[in-house]
Amino acid sequence: MILLSYATAVIIFCIGLYTIMIRRNLFKTVLGLALMESAVLLIIVSSGYIPGGVPPIAPFSGPAVNPLPHAFTLTAIVIGASDIALALAFIVKLHRHYRTVDLDRIRGLRG
Amino acid sequence: MSSKPYIFRIASLILCVSLGLMLFRGIAALPVTEKVTGPASHYLARTAGETGARNVVGAILFDYRAFDTLGESTVIFTAVCGIAMLFSRRKFHRSSRGLSFIAKRGIGIMVPFLLMYASVIILFGHLSPGGGFQGGTIFATVTVLLCVVFGSSFESQYFPPRTKDILESGGALLFSGIGLIGLAAGTGFLSNIAAGFPAGTFGSFLSAGSVPILNVAVGMKVGAGLSTIFYSMIKMLDAGHDHREGGGIE
Repeated sequence: MILLSYATAVIIFCIGLYTIMIRRNLFKTVLGLALMESAVLLIIVSSGYIPGGVPPIAPFSGPAVNPLPHAFTLTAIVIGASDIALALAFIVKLHRHYRTVDLDRIRGLRG
Repeated sequence: MSSKPYIFRIASLILCVSLGLMLFRGIAALPVTEKVTGPASHYLARTAGETGARNVVGAILFDYRAFDTLGESTVIFTAVCGIAMLFSRRKFHRSSRGLSFIAKRGIGIMVPFLLMYASVIILFGHLSPGGGFQGGTIFATVTVLLCVVFGSSFESQYFPPRTKDILESGGALLFSGIGLIGLAAGTGFLSNIAAGFPAGTFGSFLSAGSVPILNVAVGMKVGAGLSTIFYSMIKMLDAGHDHREGGGIE
């Protein structure tokens, strides 16, 4: 069961990586980055799972799952959201400057 | 560009799949533990006694690792600063008219309940799943909905950017101030029960010392920050394409 969760995360990660490698559209690059980030967070949360664990809300009615990955994930989600917002802001700025978000075309204009 | 060589796509696909396989084999080799080890076991065993909070994740975020949380909310602040700087070239007065009458009435009915939901998520952060980050995001969602459905000028009339600015700075000041109380008590920055905050009765609304106050502070910061980010960006898009900035190439 936990392997299924890991496999899902790895597949999402690969989709994000493939998007970043193939696409030259900056907006899609950022989307790929967001996908990769979600996959990593999924891996972190899954790693804290205990078989038969209950949520870490005291008092526990059994063995509780590891609360530390949840705390790390919360911080990482917020940082990722601000990251992506900043990247999108840069892309909007680039689009207003070059009238395109295609990386090749922007490079061509420069060179 | 769709004129990418075919062979390049195939090579990338093979590279991605092989990297993914290696990653999966690495993760699958992690040992599946039957019980929690390391510092997490200490948190699970002692949270109720040491902080008085029921939600262990909240206690970790706002008591054991509160300094980490302070640094992280600074990251949001930095992102807001960056976006505001990028988009502050000119003042835009245009705004979209919003969606249809039905959508406006529907959102008008929903907004009070959304605000109540966000408040409950923040204020009960030490008792149930939730906390400042989640509740703050819901607050930001309310302003985003208002922006989209009613138009950004309506939203800025009810939640002026100035107010969001004050809320965000106030959240940061509240967080640091709580930390300084711990420092003044001689027990260290952001210490909770040891600095003399009342622990209250376990499981009641007024308990867990400084954890609910820090939840409120982070909720203010996150809500105001995300809402400012969205507002800056949608103002930019509302301005449309007729406002070209200087230095464009064409």
